[in-house]
Amino acid sequence: MIDVITLFLFSIVVYNIPLLYGTAGEIMIEKSGSLNLGVEGTMAIGAVAGYLAGMRSGSLLVACLVSFAAAGLVGAVFSFLTVTLQANQNVTGLTITTFGVAFYYFIGNAVSNSPSKWPALGGSRLDQQFAPIEIPLLSKIPVIGKTFFSHTVLIYLGIIIAIVMWFYFEKTVPGLKLRAIGENPGAADSLGVNITLYKYIHIIIGSGIMGIGGLYMALNMGGTFEGSNCWINGYGWISIALVIFANWSPAKAILGTFIFGFFNTLRVQNAPLATAFPNTLGWLTKIPAQFFSALPFIITLIVLLISSVRKNNNSCEPSAIGRNYYREDR
Amino acid sequence: MKKYHLVRRSGQSIKRLLIYYLIGITISMGIGAVLLWSLGINPFEYYGRMLTIGMVGNKYAYKNVEGLLKILVPLLITSLALGLSFKMRFWNIGGEGEFLIGAISAAIVAFNVTGLPRPLTILLMCIAAMLSSGLLGLAVAFFKVRFNTNETLVTLMLNYIMLYLITYLGKTKEDWNFFLDPKSARPIFGKFPESAIMDGIKIGNFNLLWSVIIAVALIIFIYIYLKYTKHGYEISVVGDSAATAKYAGMKVSRIIMRTMFISSAMIGLAAGLTASASGTISETVTNNVGWTGIVVAWLGKLSVPAIAVTSVLIAILQFGCKTAATKYPSIDSNFADLLQGIILFSVLTADFCATFTLKKKEDAKK
Repeated sequence: MIDVITLFLFSIVVYNIPLLYGTAGEIMIEKSGSLNLGVEGTMAIGAVAGYLAGMRSGSLLVACLVSFAAAGLVGAVFSFLTVTLQANQNVTGLTITTFGVAFYYFIGNAVSNSPSKWPALGGSRLDQQFAPIEIPLLSKIPVIGKTFFSHTVLIYLGIIIAIVMWFYFEKTVPGLKLRAIGENPGAADSLGVNITLYKYIHIIIGSGIMGIGGLYMALNMGGTFEGSNCWINGYGWISIALVIFANWSPAKAILGTFIFGFFNTLRVQNAPLATAFPNTLGWLTKIPAQFFSALPFIITLIVLLISSVRKNNNSCEPSAIGRNYYREDR
Repeated sequence: MKKYHLVRRSGQSIKRLLIYYLIGITISMGIGAVLLWSLGINPFEYYGRMLTIGMVGNKYAYKNVEGLLKILVPLLITSLALGLSFKMRFWNIGGEGEFLIGAISAAIVAFNVTGLPRPLTILLMCIAAMLSSGLLGLAVAFFKVRFNTNETLVTLMLNYIMLYLITYLGKTKEDWNFFLDPKSARPIFGKFPESAIMDGIKIGNFNLLWSVIIAVALIIFIYIYLKYTKHGYEISVVGDSAATAKYAGMKVSRIIMRTMFISSAMIGLAAGLTASASGTISETVTNNVGWTGIVVAWLGKLSVPAIAVTSVLIAILQFGCKTAATKYPSIDSNFADLLQGIILFSVLTADFCATFTLKKKEDAKK
């Protein structure tokens, strides 16, 4: 019975950490006042580029760097179009999603149909490096040890990125300047902050972080390319919802990832839970899977509505979000 | 110091814009050609097949036109509808969700109203679809004007909630679930009764569906509505500046809510017509028009004739890639999305070049 709980908690972390990457990346972008709806596509490009580079080089580090660079390049396109060329952010972001997912299929089909075939993850050098790292002592604690301290390096990295990002926003001068751009770009500009440079850097880094999340997704799903299903599978969209739920805070995003992950895992693991606890959790199998899938979006919708109805001053939504800044437009 | 800076060009020249667009599209097709060539596909052959939507040397070419129109009608109506709300700078990206709820409502009517003549049944389906979608859009607009809720994020969430709702209906085998095919053991959406399936005018072998005629009528109607009515004028003033509209004594909240209702109801109509034309619904009933429509409306610069032309071109691109994909195994119909993305990126760049120009700093100071 304790095994069922451990597996449940373990699954929450192991299957949902891409949400943290997606969310942290998107928070960084939104803090600069840009709304990038291209998370799904950015993650897809990062995933496919990182995976193929990792398989060829046999190094997880190379895989991470390439997925960061590839997704960062997508971020650069987004910045170029929306910051320099003043294009509409919604349209650009959505196009990045369509383009990115299509790119995934294009590369996937091209490689699968090539003489060298699609590289399989199982038994490769990349796969060995993706093995869990047991943290000494801590991983021996029952339940918690398995849940939090026996994971692959990318899971620890995701949590470290979120914490560092929180520190960056709250405690450093560039972080403060970035938040100022998101709130009131005109004021930040008058104080001499180089808005264009700040937006470019943060959009590119944020997109790169999403890309590593995509790579994790690819590795965690065994790296097999299917012609009908994208690896990212909607996680990019859930990440956009999670940004709101986490109230634009990377620290809260860690918590939010586990909460959204909890529902996601309930959907997958309702049967073992119901069998292990027939009396208390037997009802779980009666709830349709689609309800759990929709739950992140339902909760986020409710959060959005309630916080706006209550004119919630605690909301950290950047005021200038979604609007381009053109100095001579004032 | 920088010597040059960007200045908005004074006055829009349609000719200049078109030339820049054409350059942009040519470059994107060139990039696409390189990609095709790298797969060992002859780009001229592929593009030829795509642009003629596989009609050349095909005995059943009329079937391809019918297929193209089936893709075109929902895309056209949805793009027009989204353009309406974008004109007010109301970022309704909920086309998918509004389409889905419309399709579900149309299906409720189709499965439960039997024994009525066909036109009446389809009319009822469309009314149900328009009402449900319209009310959903109205609710979003209400929260926007009353509480300043972020409409982009709300409509985004609704898209996914509706997607899982229709998935639930399509996957749940229960006695109450009249959406499903009762004869199938596996849960699949049932076929509508005969009286709920749209017919058309026969021209030889070609079957011109009524939905096409309705879509064309709608283009003309919306064009007149925006150009020559008070409502249309109000929409453009609100889009230019809500403050100005308020100062001129317009009831901005009412205009936004009314327009959002009309816009979403049109998407509902698209859903009702699509469901009736295909005789069933599914999770993929939208064919992504809610997303593509945003791109089309934007590419068409929110002008009705331009949106109509753009949606025809995008429909040809999508349907053409689909027919071409049957010939080439190493590429699938997702290539349309890839090409569409590249085209949009270059058109956005072209758009910028047509509206902005580089000027020397000294000139500006004078």
